[in-house]
Amino acid sequence: MKKILLPIVLISLPTLLNAATAATQLEGGFKVGPAIILITILILFVMVGVVFRAKDTTDFYAAGRGISKVGSGMAIASNWMSAASFLGMAALMYGSGYHGLAYVVGWTGGYVLLLILMAGQIRKYGKYTAADFIGDRYYSKTLRAVGAIIAILISIAYAVGQFGGIGLMFKWVMGIDYTMAVIIGGAVVLTYTMISGMLGVTKNMQIQYVIIIISFLIPLFILTAKFDYFWLLPQIGYGSVVSDAISGLPVNETKALINSLGHDYAIVPAPEYAMPWDPATGKSFFQWIAIAFSLMIGTAGLPHVIQRFYVVPKARDARWSVVWGLFFISILYWSAPAYAAFGKILSAHPEVGTLAKDAIVVYTAQLGNIHPLIVGFLAAGGVSAAFSTVSGLLVAGSSAFAHDLYVKVINPNATPQRQLLYARLATILMAIIVTLLALKNFALIGQLVAVAFSLAGCTIFPLFLLGIWWSGSNKAGAIAGLITGGTVAVIAITYFIAGKSGVTLPAHDFISYWLEAWYFAWIGAPLAILVHIIVSRLTKETPLEIRKFLIEQVHS
Amino acid sequence: MDPSQNDYHISFFKPTTDSARRNRNMVVQLILIWVVAIFGFQITLKIIEKPVPEPAYTLFESSWEGIESGNPTLTDLQGAGQAALSVLGKIAIDPGHRELLDNAVSWMAYQISEQKDELKSAVAAFEEIAASSTVITDETYVAEKNELIPVLAGLFDLNPLDVRAKIAPLEVKSSLMESFDDSSRDQMVETMGLYLIHNRSVLTDAKFLGFPFHYFYTAVFLLILFVGLCWLYCVRTDMFHKKYGIED
Repeated sequence: MKKILLPIVLISLPTLLNAATAATQLEGGFKVGPAIILITILILFVMVGVVFRAKDTTDFYAAGRGISKVGSGMAIASNWMSAASFLGMAALMYGSGYHGLAYVVGWTGGYVLLLILMAGQIRKYGKYTAADFIGDRYYSKTLRAVGAIIAILISIAYAVGQFGGIGLMFKWVMGIDYTMAVIIGGAVVLTYTMISGMLGVTKNMQIQYVIIIISFLIPLFILTAKFDYFWLLPQIGYGSVVSDAISGLPVNETKALINSLGHDYAIVPAPEYAMPWDPATGKSFFQWIAIAFSLMIGTAGLPHVIQRFYVVPKARDARWSVVWGLFFISILYWSAPAYAAFGKILSAHPEVGTLAKDAIVVYTAQLGNIHPLIVGFLAAGGVSAAFSTVSGLLVAGSSAFAHDLYVKVINPNATPQRQLLYARLATILMAIIVTLLALKNFALIGQLVAVAFSLAGCTIFPLFLLGIWWSGSNKAGAIAGLITGGTVAVIAITYFIAGKSGVTLPAHDFISYWLEAWYFAWIGAPLAILVHIIVSRLTKETPLEIRKFLIEQVHS
Repeated sequence: MDPSQNDYHISFFKPTTDSARRNRNMVVQLILIWVVAIFGFQITLKIIEKPVPEPAYTLFESSWEGIESGNPTLTDLQGAGQAALSVLGKIAIDPGHRELLDNAVSWMAYQISEQKDELKSAVAAFEEIAASSTVITDETYVAEKNELIPVLAGLFDLNPLDVRAKIAPLEVKSSLMESFDDSSRDQMVETMGLYLIHNRSVLTDAKFLGFPFHYFYTAVFLLILFVGLCWLYCVRTDMFHKKYGIED
């Protein structure tokens, strides 16, 4: 590996240094330095993927269950820290201020639920995929198939935002249009996923985490130091940036600091940036609560997150890997709001124009006059974040298809080789569908990803929660709950797509507000749980062997 | 039902063993802390908040009365202009509101100016250069803008170094100077209120480590709490398992 990488670095270095100035444009133009950094990192990922490539089906699905709890925590973080975390979260805060913090809280608080209610028990249950669990626990092939289809839909919804992020960063680096950037980015991530398989991806994820977090933190240290804030801990130092944005920063107090376009580091008072549910943002208290709640329960129902617990050797490791995973995730989540705060002041002058919110992390670094190669590294970190998540999603989706649908429902006698072939075909098909959807550019990355969370919160979360903790939960209850949650999801997503397509459906404003696509689980999940419980109580009891298994294996 | 079947029931709320009971109690405690910390705090913020106007809104209110009466004084026009520029300096403004406020400041500048034609020509000349410039560092563009800043700053009684003065050349439009119709005026109070009145309370005004307290609590402290709750759960679970001899 070193033999291959060293020449790449040596050859690229002079070009990188000469190309530095090319990255100073906010938009347009091919940026040679960042492009070389990006390509080098992608080659590194593929190389690592090749070295640790999947050898058989078990490796492909669950990485041989050979990952330590700290390593698994890092993999959880890398798997989790997607384009939505890296690019989307700052975008949401930049656009909607305090409202964006609902996403920060939602995407971290859910891990507490996941840990104390599920992680250890899921590992003890001993299945490979979410659909495996559903089919087994609810003793139904049909439910297994439905679970697999939902897992695929969630993976697709989640991946759309990631492909959007990859497209934005490829667009920024290569100076090409968004459509071409999404297609190229999609092709690269597909190739990478196909080659490495799950084992490679897991090993890669630890490297990816390190690259992602370093690329995200370096510009923050520089920004806080450059603009005279407490730089030793930028996650705390940016508090004064927020306060400056609220009170306003007059020109005579800026110590002649300017952004890369020559504008003073100054801003009129902008309390709307940090005050809760400010009228200027158009967001309400209800929406804050609904988003935080939906994202939290969605976290505990996402197949590709749940699937991570199968790769640790013991239930204890599954639990501790959540603690490590959340800590590693939080390092990024403590930092992302700082980009939004700096971005707010650095782009305050109207001459900066309207910036694509989802690229504000990169624009902020550029406006802060950070060295172009570091900005390029930051953009490469954004791509890495999207890559690590997409590869996990594609594996989760293809596993759901090949393992849960094809082998368990359609062809139980399939050989492992044929199973792997179907998994790879499913990966290709999913990548094509996701690329086509990403080209539509429906919403901000964070919002698109939140749709997947609400969908998971309405469907899979109730099945896991009740399936693990209540032996009275039975097949009929599961079906009824799934229909309830699914109906809420279908209504919300139909109204969302109709709205984006310019079609006005009955009670459009009412439904769009109370069942917005990124937080419909606030009501969908409780309803699904309630119906699941009522129907379970009214129908035939769960078979003895399932109840016995729960007591003897899962809760022993 | 076969009596033996009753022996195999699991319910989170009805634990049958001592270890399950302790686990349930711990989970309930942690979830309570989690719920109160997240939602309890936001609900408290909502309950105690009060709509508080920015100084710019107070200035606007006192100036707008004169403009509404149809006989504004110079101070009225300057005050309302300063307030409108305070909103235009904010980044996230609805395009419709920006157009309205551009109309307002352009009309006010025109009303204040004693050399109306010269002002309109200077603004139009700058607009022409701005339209033909491809980059904001273009020398002619910068020179024209720097000439216009003190002119507009003088009209609105602003220091030329004031952020509002610096953005004024980009917001004052020659085509919007001569009229400011009634329907636009009707929208002004609501629009200014939308951007200049905020939900504030003791929790948003208090400072902690440089942050507004509520912001620190939500963006920093809650994440620390989540990691802490997870750590606590794992440590206590390990202790329980050791005590009850449970093997994973």
